[in-house]
Amino acid sequence: MKASLGILGVALGASSAGLGICALARGLWTHDDRWLIVGRRAIFFVLGGAVVAVGAMEWALITHDFSLQYVAANNARETPLLFTITGLWAALEGSILLWVLVLGGFLTFTAYKFRARVTDPLVAWASLIGLAVALFFFALMLGPANPFRTLSNPPFDGQGPNALLQDHPLMAFHPPMLYLGLVGFTIPFAFAVAALITGRFSEGWLADVRKATLIAWGALTIGIILGAWWSYEVLGWGGFWAWDPVENAALLPWLTATAFLHSVIVQERRAMLRVWNLSLILSTFCLTILATFLTRSGVLNSVHSFTESDIGPWLLAFLGVVAAGSIALIAWRGDRLRSPGRIDSPVSREAAFLVNNLLFAGLAFVVLLGTVYPLLAEALQGHQLSVGGPYFNLMTTPIALALLLMMAVAPALPWRATSTDVLRRRLIIPAYTAGITMVVALVLGTRGITTVLAFGLAAFAVAGIVRQYVVGARARHRAESERWPTAVRRMVSGNPRLYGGLVVHTGIVCIAVALAAFGAFTTRREVELARGQSATVSGYTITYLGNRTEKSPQKTSVAVLLRIHHDGSDLGTYAPAISTFPGSNEGIGTPSVKTGFLRDVYLTLVSSPNEKGRVTIGVDINAMVVWLWIGGAVIALGTAIAISPELRRRKVRVDREPVSAPPEAGPTPSEEPEVVPV
Amino acid sequence: MKHPARWAALVVGVGVAALAVVLATQVNTNPQADEQTHLVGKQVPTFTAHTFDGQTVSTASLAGKAVLVNFWNSWCIPCQQELPALKAFQQEHAGDPNVVLLGILRDDTVDAARPYAEAEGMTWDLVNDASGNLSLDFGTFGQPETYAIAPDGTVVGTQFGPASTRNLDTMLAAAQARP
Amino acid sequence: MRGRRFLTWGGAALLILGALVWAAWPSSGPQTSADRAHELATEIRCPDCQGLSAEDSSSSSAQAIRADLARRTKAGESDAEIRSVYVARYGLSILLKPQSSGLGLLVWGLPVLVFALGAAGLALAFARWRREPRLHATNADEALVDGVRSG
Repeated sequence: MKASLGILGVALGASSAGLGICALARGLWTHDDRWLIVGRRAIFFVLGGAVVAVGAMEWALITHDFSLQYVAANNARETPLLFTITGLWAALEGSILLWVLVLGGFLTFTAYKFRARVTDPLVAWASLIGLAVALFFFALMLGPANPFRTLSNPPFDGQGPNALLQDHPLMAFHPPMLYLGLVGFTIPFAFAVAALITGRFSEGWLADVRKATLIAWGALTIGIILGAWWSYEVLGWGGFWAWDPVENAALLPWLTATAFLHSVIVQERRAMLRVWNLSLILSTFCLTILATFLTRSGVLNSVHSFTESDIGPWLLAFLGVVAAGSIALIAWRGDRLRSPGRIDSPVSREAAFLVNNLLFAGLAFVVLLGTVYPLLAEALQGHQLSVGGPYFNLMTTPIALALLLMMAVAPALPWRATSTDVLRRRLIIPAYTAGITMVVALVLGTRGITTVLAFGLAAFAVAGIVRQYVVGARARHRAESERWPTAVRRMVSGNPRLYGGLVVHTGIVCIAVALAAFGAFTTRREVELARGQSATVSGYTITYLGNRTEKSPQKTSVAVLLRIHHDGSDLGTYAPAISTFPGSNEGIGTPSVKTGFLRDVYLTLVSSPNEKGRVTIGVDINAMVVWLWIGGAVIALGTAIAISPELRRRKVRVDREPVSAPPEAGPTPSEEPEVVPV
Repeated sequence: MKHPARWAALVVGVGVAALAVVLATQVNTNPQADEQTHLVGKQVPTFTAHTFDGQTVSTASLAGKAVLVNFWNSWCIPCQQELPALKAFQQEHAGDPNVVLLGILRDDTVDAARPYAEAEGMTWDLVNDASGNLSLDFGTFGQPETYAIAPDGTVVGTQFGPASTRNLDTMLAAAQARP
Repeated sequence: MRGRRFLTWGGAALLILGALVWAAWPSSGPQTSADRAHELATEIRCPDCQGLSAEDSSSSSAQAIRADLARRTKAGESDAEIRSVYVARYGLSILLKPQSSGLGLLVWGLPVLVFALGAAGLALAFARWRREPRLHATNADEALVDGVRSG
């Protein structure tokens, strides 16, 4: 019953997508608008099909209907409700269901947004591309990844989700966020392909899909950070980023998308870089498919290879078609799209964006090369190699520092060209802030040029951002005698993209500082303790109080109670544990973390009490890790500001000319118009 | 260079095509399966260990015999799968003083493994690698792993993952083929 | 603005450069064998976990590797010797940092090459933009001018 309903949903989605493609193709071919209207309606049925299928799966999960193979494999009677619901994305088949649901949502959102331009060939082509992507994923579920396979002899109880996936509530948010991000890039991709096919390369559509792109970018950022957080809280190795192939795979589209978000501004302002921007969008989408492929095909060793499956060749074929099509389109249209624009000075905002793009593209190249290199080496040489943390740290640190420098300097550069006077006015205080911060960091005992430089550049960037906010708000405060909070609010809503972007930059600074501090000030010890004994690591005294064993049908866990003292004050009792789950042989460690603004005390149980009652505890004193999550929240806030509607002074609704809208106000700091030389 | 975009697309296309070919040729291979011991053909690492009963086993005491070294754990399910094959092997060769089966506990405690071995009737020599040095010396990636050592001390064969009776016989034959 | 005149670029550069020199100044004595062991542990993959280094993993084989590295560094074995022992046992895939010889050269050299090409491309583009006149007269412009002149 649930299986039939689910299959019905999948079939509805697949057939609507197929019919929609046919209708749109016919409409585009015969220039018959009625077919385009029919094709657009299909999008809503695609979403409907996905909702029905996901609903059927959740129904089956919540009622523990083990006649479905997927439910029997990823759910048990004792699984708590939260992890029952998240069972939807605990394995491959269900996560494709989530994928089509999110894609249906994005397509519907876009169809609604473009409701007045249904008959525009550009929009029709974009819908067609979007539906084709949806059709592929529905087809996966009708073929090799059918989530609604039934069992003729349903077991009395299921196996439950993978032990690692039922340990932390973050599992409820990390995968959906990541999917929201990865799937969302389908929208700009569809429009980019449509623009290449129709040859309509005006800037209008870029502005129109900006919101979808920003939502996808923000969600991907948050998804990646939540994944790091989950890794830190659950996996118990004391870190949050292991340069694991799947982590890298999610980072790759983020890098190209971030490059695009910056370089698109140059296109809007100066009508340059069209081919480059289209290439960035196309490669972002290709990289999202590559990410899915690497996660799901098991070609690379990874903690994420939870499910082995045979959809690898399908995804690879799809990736091949998408990549070949993209490259062919660029080769066909690229030279026609080239614009005659020029950049006047290497010291200008647009030049800074070019350097930014070089750095982001280079970073993406390094990460991609390192990730696939083991495969290349094996194909060429026949024996295996590993490329891991030490390689990536060494190669990415200089690029990351250069990006931090650009982030600190670029927002202060004026468009077109600059004068030393402007530079001085905008940069001298941030420069001094950076120098003083570095000296203070050194005095406080920081060593290592990378760390000190990172702190200095972070201070530089923050000082620049604060300056931009203060100058902008002060101008309003003085000119319109608004009160400060009103001035800031109106200033932000007057150019949400600029001021939201600066907030995002602040979040990035938090993350950069956290990474630098974590790299420099982390202490790691393993101590063996008998009951009642204490050990002191970096001034934190850990006392072993006793054990606590909890048995539930879901798991058996042995926790060790540890009290932490620091500077004579009691910081409470923490209980790292090792849990064993039925159906899994190895123990899963659960770390226990005392979080602080400057230092985390990260406790893991390395080995449970031995014959003599002694335990081995891993004690990591990690610096500033919480700022990673704070940075993530700040980025989320900044993205939300950037996508909030722009408050216009004159509320006149300008009817957009359908093909090319005038470029919108870019993120020029409008506060010092008199100093911008033209 | 009349069409720079075409040239760039061509270069990227060639790169992507190469990558796709590499991915396609490896899409169905299991990365773990390629991990092979690099000991084959080399001399077995020297070691001294003590069995659960306190007897000493060492490279010296094993010299001149065909030895199968089996890394295992009591909690490891693939190890349980290969247990019947190991038992059959031991039964067949129990009377032969020149064939030795040696079980090395890789990542487990004697407390857990000893009752298990007794219950399962594992009558061959079992040692505990508490320090992890033995599994390091052999370069093990996990368990079960089985190594065949010829009487002259050369490692002649290896089996990663559960061994079948046929695997064990092949490895023994390879070990006995050398002087 | 006048009050900030004393903030000069030279002062800022001096401050920042001074801080950088101080930061780069070798502060501690020669590396201890324990430091070397930790550093090597970050470069050696834990054999039975997925891509974590022996330094990061708490698995029993990672512990054994850490103990082994401590022993070897204490005994005075060089980093290269220790690496080759591990490669002999486990193969090249045990090293998380690919060696910069043979095919490994590609993974280190290609990014540098790509960056160099990208930077050179940007520099060339800027040079060209600087040389070229700001505006080109198109054929249509010329025709317009001709039309005006002859008319």
